[in-house]
Amino acid sequence: MSEPAKITLEVQRYHPEQDSGPRWQRYTVPYTAEMSVLEGLQYIKDHLDGSLTFRWSCRMAICGSCGCMIDGEPELACHVFLRDYAPGPVRVAALDHFPIQRDLVIDHSDFLEKLETVHSYLIPAEERTPADGTHRQTPQAMADYYDYAQCINCLLCYAACPQYGWHPDFAGPAALALLQRYNLDDRDGGHRLRERVIDAEQGVWGCTLVGYCSEVCPKGVDPARAINQNKAGSAARYLLGWWRPGRRRGEDRE
Amino acid sequence: MKRSHEPPLWLLFGAGGLLAALLGPALILLTGVVVPVAAERGVEVLGYEATRELLARPLVGVLLALSLGVVLWHAAHRIYHTLRDLGMRAGQGVWWACYGSAAIGTLVAIGAVIALW
Amino acid sequence: MSRPPVYRPSMRGWWQRHPAYRRYLLREGSSALLAAYALWLLAGLVSLAAGEAAYERWRELHGNPWVFGVHLAALLAALYHAVTWFRLLPLTLPALRWGGRRITDRTLVRGAWLTYVALSVGVWLYLLGGVR
Ligand code: SF4
Ligand code: FES
Repeated sequence: MSEPAKITLEVQRYHPEQDSGPRWQRYTVPYTAEMSVLEGLQYIKDHLDGSLTFRWSCRMAICGSCGCMIDGEPELACHVFLRDYAPGPVRVAALDHFPIQRDLVIDHSDFLEKLETVHSYLIPAEERTPADGTHRQTPQAMADYYDYAQCINCLLCYAACPQYGWHPDFAGPAALALLQRYNLDDRDGGHRLRERVIDAEQGVWGCTLVGYCSEVCPKGVDPARAINQNKAGSAARYLLGWWRPGRRRGEDRE
Repeated sequence: MKRSHEPPLWLLFGAGGLLAALLGPALILLTGVVVPVAAERGVEVLGYEATRELLARPLVGVLLALSLGVVLWHAAHRIYHTLRDLGMRAGQGVWWACYGSAAIGTLVAIGAVIALW
Repeated sequence: MSRPPVYRPSMRGWWQRHPAYRRYLLREGSSALLAAYALWLLAGLVSLAAGEAAYERWRELHGNPWVFGVHLAALLAALYHAVTWFRLLPLTLPALRWGGRRITDRTLVRGAWLTYVALSVGVWLYLLGGVR
């Protein structure tokens, strides 16, 4: 049998108890054509260095937990193949713009807090009880928001957003795409609540349409579109507020 | 959450950007390339009398002044945000320098057009 | 329980991390040349108001190689601006429908370029017609 092909991975390491900042460590890994980068990391952990820390779960681009920078691009490690980087060295680092806890593990609590502020759940337009039966919707109405509903919270788009990197207050691509997903749902009646987020400094106005977020999204969510679709409406509301300032002030008291 | 005051700035930015995209190349080609190349060959393009007569029409003059204004505003908006993107801690001073000079440019353009009447 | 310290990455030199960032800065930077051209037209407008001698001096300056070069650069910047502006235009619009079918980005971008051609021709005819 011939020797298996080998690839060099250069992995970002950071162990807070001993490192003051990230460092790079090289590993040489045998690989086969069907092995993902995630499987390369797993090989390292199982055979070369048990201290390497990273997240994963589904191994099939569904759970969104294995996001990292691979040769400078935000990617799902389970969604790209070692063969495409051979013979390396391929650099694997923690997702950009997030605090690093350990090796490739980032702290995503900031995103989880943001997710709570955007009301990304159905707020029924009319009072309903389970006795009313299924809340039905036409396929065309579903098509309006379907793309935005595909988000798996992998945060690749945040790693692709320099505005988020500079201004961590910015709600950011995925949170605003999920907001838009419910705003476009014809069964939903919560848009007034979400307008507060949209119109805020941390809302859509934090975006300068770099557009890279939509390029890196592994699920075709197009968060740049979700955000920028809202600017004209938000601007119209702003001018209306000049026209009828009382309305806006009354809303703030709610 | 604090309401953003970006919308009016953004609307003017958008107007200028759209205008620059639709008409910028054609205008630059005409005034910046055709004028000197024609002059080389002894042909007068956009001569004094004709241009003056054209821009003295109130509608044309005002449209030109406002167009110049929004394009300046467009650039002011992008330059201001780019300075911040590049890491500059742009405060009130930079803000006024960017948007203020665009506003002054617009006023000068309107003044020049009115002087033609 | 005290949490171990996290490492916070910096934004220093962020544009070097990906070509998409450099394209973004190029797009934003093209506005500086657009502004230079707008200021040049403003100078022309002011000299027009100042009288024939001033206006003719402004017009003659177009033959200066530096001025000509900056105009060529501004032309390229304006074209890049138009390409990027029209490409991003569909992202700023709500999903539009025509007879029950969604209007695609492609159609919208083509429509923008058609408008561009029509307006460019119109302005050329109007300005050159005004000269005669
Ligand atoms: S929008 Fe796309 S890139 Fe961003 S978190 Fe959702 S799936 Fe990931
Ligand atoms: S492991 Fe679940 S998305 Fe990669």
